[in-house]
Amino acid sequence: MGGLEKKKYERGSATNYITRNKARKKLQLSLADFRRLCILKGIYPHEPKHKKKVNKGSTAARTFYLLKDIKFLLHEPIVNKFREYKVFVRKLRKAYGKSEWNTVERLKDNKPGYKLDHIIKERYPTFIDALRDLDDALSMCFLFSTFPRTGKCHVQTIQLCRRLTVEFLNYVIASRSLRKVFLSIKGIYYQAEVLGQPITWIAPYAFAHDHPTDVDYRVMATFTEFYTTLLGFVNFRLYQSLNLHYPPKIEGQAEAQLKPEEGEAYAMDSESYMEKLSALSSSLARVVASSQEDEVQVDEFPVDGESAEQEEVRKTEQEALETQKKLFEGLRFFLNREVPREPLAFIIRCFGGEVSWDKSVCIGATYDVTDLTITHQIVDRPSLAKQVIGRYYLQPQWVFDSVNAKMCLPVADYFPGMLLPPHLSPFVSEKDGDYIPPEKLKLLALQRGENPGEESEEEEEEDGNDDDEEDDEGSEGEDSEKEDEGKLRKLEEQRSQGKKLPVKVSAGTVRLEDKQRIAQEEKNEEKRLAIMMMKKREKYLYQKIMFGKKRKVREATKLTEKRKAHDAAMKSEKKKTKKARRA
Amino acid sequence: MAARAAGRGLPSTSGPPSLPSFAKMAAPSDACSSSFLGLLAGSRDPGAPRRRRARGSRNRKKSWKCWRGPEAELGRELGAFLEDVGLQQRAAGGLVAEKPDESLFFLDTGSEEKDRKLNQGKEKPLRIDLILQPDSKVPPPKDVLAHQVPNGKKLKRKQRLQEKLAQQGLVPREQRLLQARLQKAQLATASRGEGEPEPARGFYDIWSDTNPLDQVLAGQDTWFLEQTKKQRVRRPARLKKKPSELPAVEVIPAGGSYNPTFQAHQVLLLQAHEVELRRQKAEEKLERQLSFPTAAEAPTQETAFREQCEGLLEESGDEEDDEEKMLREPPAPVATPLSTLLHEKKTEQQRRREKEAKALVARRLGEKAARCRRQELFQLRSIRLQVKRREAELLRRRRVRLAKRQAEATKPRRLGRLKYEDPDLEVQLSTELAESLRTLKPEGSILRDRFKSLQKRNLIEPRERAKFKRKYRLKYVEKRAFREVML
Repeated sequence: MGGLEKKKYERGSATNYITRNKARKKLQLSLADFRRLCILKGIYPHEPKHKKKVNKGSTAARTFYLLKDIKFLLHEPIVNKFREYKVFVRKLRKAYGKSEWNTVERLKDNKPGYKLDHIIKERYPTFIDALRDLDDALSMCFLFSTFPRTGKCHVQTIQLCRRLTVEFLNYVIASRSLRKVFLSIKGIYYQAEVLGQPITWIAPYAFAHDHPTDVDYRVMATFTEFYTTLLGFVNFRLYQSLNLHYPPKIEGQAEAQLKPEEGEAYAMDSESYMEKLSALSSSLARVVASSQEDEVQVDEFPVDGESAEQEEVRKTEQEALETQKKLFEGLRFFLNREVPREPLAFIIRCFGGEVSWDKSVCIGATYDVTDLTITHQIVDRPSLAKQVIGRYYLQPQWVFDSVNAKMCLPVADYFPGMLLPPHLSPFVSEKDGDYIPPEKLKLLALQRGENPGEESEEEEEEDGNDDDEEDDEGSEGEDSEKEDEGKLRKLEEQRSQGKKLPVKVSAGTVRLEDKQRIAQEEKNEEKRLAIMMMKKREKYLYQKIMFGKKRKVREATKLTEKRKAHDAAMKSEKKKTKKARRA
Repeated sequence: MAARAAGRGLPSTSGPPSLPSFAKMAAPSDACSSSFLGLLAGSRDPGAPRRRRARGSRNRKKSWKCWRGPEAELGRELGAFLEDVGLQQRAAGGLVAEKPDESLFFLDTGSEEKDRKLNQGKEKPLRIDLILQPDSKVPPPKDVLAHQVPNGKKLKRKQRLQEKLAQQGLVPREQRLLQARLQKAQLATASRGEGEPEPARGFYDIWSDTNPLDQVLAGQDTWFLEQTKKQRVRRPARLKKKPSELPAVEVIPAGGSYNPTFQAHQVLLLQAHEVELRRQKAEEKLERQLSFPTAAEAPTQETAFREQCEGLLEESGDEEDDEEKMLREPPAPVATPLSTLLHEKKTEQQRRREKEAKALVARRLGEKAARCRRQELFQLRSIRLQVKRREAELLRRRRVRLAKRQAEATKPRRLGRLKYEDPDLEVQLSTELAESLRTLKPEGSILRDRFKSLQKRNLIEPRERAKFKRKYRLKYVEKRAFREVML
């Protein structure tokens, strides 16, 4: 009877967890090293369900790790390297203290280092796993690559980050996998689709740093250390998948080597190659020279369990994607110096456009402003002194909006000095019943191929005519084209309607309409009956759902009305100001 | 005679020939003795010329000085010569070279047999040796191993088998393994030579089958690798799950566009406004609680007294009420049986009656239960309803639990002393919004955003910067010179 007394906290969750300090002591590491190790190995703290049990009766908030995780850490060879490094630092300090410079030299030559390759392999057993975790890596590398070299972190790290991001951008350009861009007040969000995985990252605007003090730089540097290793391997694999040289080589390098003095003004010989690569203006060399026309039509096998409709939808999607990839093909852009060069060059090149800039802005300019073949010049200043006929002068937002709309938007709204239409987020997708802003509606209509709101545009043209007549001249070419197209379409429609006219007389159509109406009525009746037949509880639920839907619609209409009122107010205000100006 | 004398001078280690074991040992021990000298630390080869040590006292500079130069050489040679001459004169009474041959050599005409006879007494073994000789009548055991190899037959058979197998082309296992190892090493070097990336090179395809990380261990027995700790411990499957289901990069809502739509911007502003309101409210609350009361609100003696006897007065009133009630109500009759009070022994009759009463109660209860059970048959519908209700309740609970879990999957957890706090919303007021990309002023810091995102996803615990704590108080001393100048 009785048996041994059961002691408290010797089984159950109390033994499954370990506090951070205990774990640290078990691994014989300092707190900083322990933290670094956990980040590198991907071991994160846990919040136990019953804290008091785990904490042996105490309710103090502590950081807990799973004991099994820590036991797993014990096998890590890097732990030994950390200890070695600790000893190295101790020896070095001693040698410094004794001012034994020979010893210092010797110790520095034998500084212990470690590699993270095996951890990468362990944490990401397959390439797809690595791609799924690339968001963080890219964001961090883009962030670190823009850091000033002021000693907040190692210069080598910054350079490495820069190299890796440039390589990745070049890959995205070569594979044309960019999908979405969003200019936010924080930074620029990009989304690319790499091997079927959507990859989102944020890149800061240039020169936008105030170093926050509440951020632990050591932790961030450790994350970056891990992510740079990851990104290096991912880049290599990505380049291999496209048959590109790694490290990247610029296509037609012979020319670049012929006249090295061109780049001398920007960078030293050792750096000029990297700079040229980061200019993003030239394409990369392939291991096997691929002919452009080797895209053989692959036989398509229907995926089983997929109906014809789904297949069609998929096909149309694919076609849309193909057209999106060639969005800027054949267009030649020129970036003025006030425009953010890197993001624009990256985006334009991602969709097949050619891009150049002033020679004094950056290395790697391919053609001059005076080039007559330029179709679009990106400008971000209120007025231009000298303009060349035959090209559009556009604000940079046109590029971003066109990419998100998956089509070249009408240029009229984006001329310099114009009030720009709002920049919509491509990451927001409205469900049916949600409020859709009129700008988005317009865009959707445009995508469908309609030409909505002509009358409103005319109105605006009337408003805007007096102050930017010169600008309109540039756009007239395309505008007239569009108008022509619209007219043609209208004519066709009229013709087809004209053909239909005799058919309409016949009784068949009338019957058809009747049938439809009857069907509709029948449907309504059925629905009503079904509602009547519902159980009380189900009916209650149904009514609730319907009420919710109605409320949503009501709210949406309310918002649209509000918007209308706002627009009207704005317009009237505008007119007033104009009148005042005229007077 | 001279030759023999030299032979006798050598150390003779061979024992008496009558002992077989000693005889057997003789040959190796001879060899040993010759090499033995050289191995010892202080030993010198006796044949080599002795190196004369510098003698004399060494406490003066002169004795430490080395005598060098051609004259010194000559002098040394001369000294050696004179010494030699002196030695010859002492030993042979004159120079050996000048002496006639007859005085140096003689002809040996004696016979060996005669010599042996003459020396018989001298060659007799020593008495001590005789004493030490074993006098057992039992002959020593034959040394079988001297004539035969242990397990010889088996070995011979084995060898024969191996020869036979070798003729057929079969090699024993050990050799086979050795050869395999050799070949494997060759293969590895060959494959490396083909241009495969080395691990020392910065980049290689880590996810291919031929990556250098796995190549080292490729093709070896997993059991062996595990036991010798050459293979890394496999990563547990639970670590594949991320600690939070939040996306790594959370895209800012549409109102955060640099040129937002009116509506989206208003929504974002409203959010920021609500956050700010909440914060302000909390601040006000804190201030209210911490502020010192004004003179009008300050407690006076009267209020303090009232506060002190806050509960007392009311309580006493209650008690009075109770007492009144007690007085009004007649005391309940004390119905305790006498027997229990006095603990007297029960009579037989009492026992019997109690027993019967107990049995009766039990029977009644049993009957009731049976009746109920019978009755339940007719309650099937209601029971079914109950079961249904119960199941529905369970389902509801499960759903609630699931929903809760889902909601918690994206929430930041409490991982340390500090709680996670959301960063400030990045918002630009309508007046701050940029008209064009050129004039855009970025809001917030991406570095902080990333850091907070890591915290939000439970990857790192929220922490505050370690405060600098001075161990000893600083001591300020005014320099005297400075003080003088000031004066």
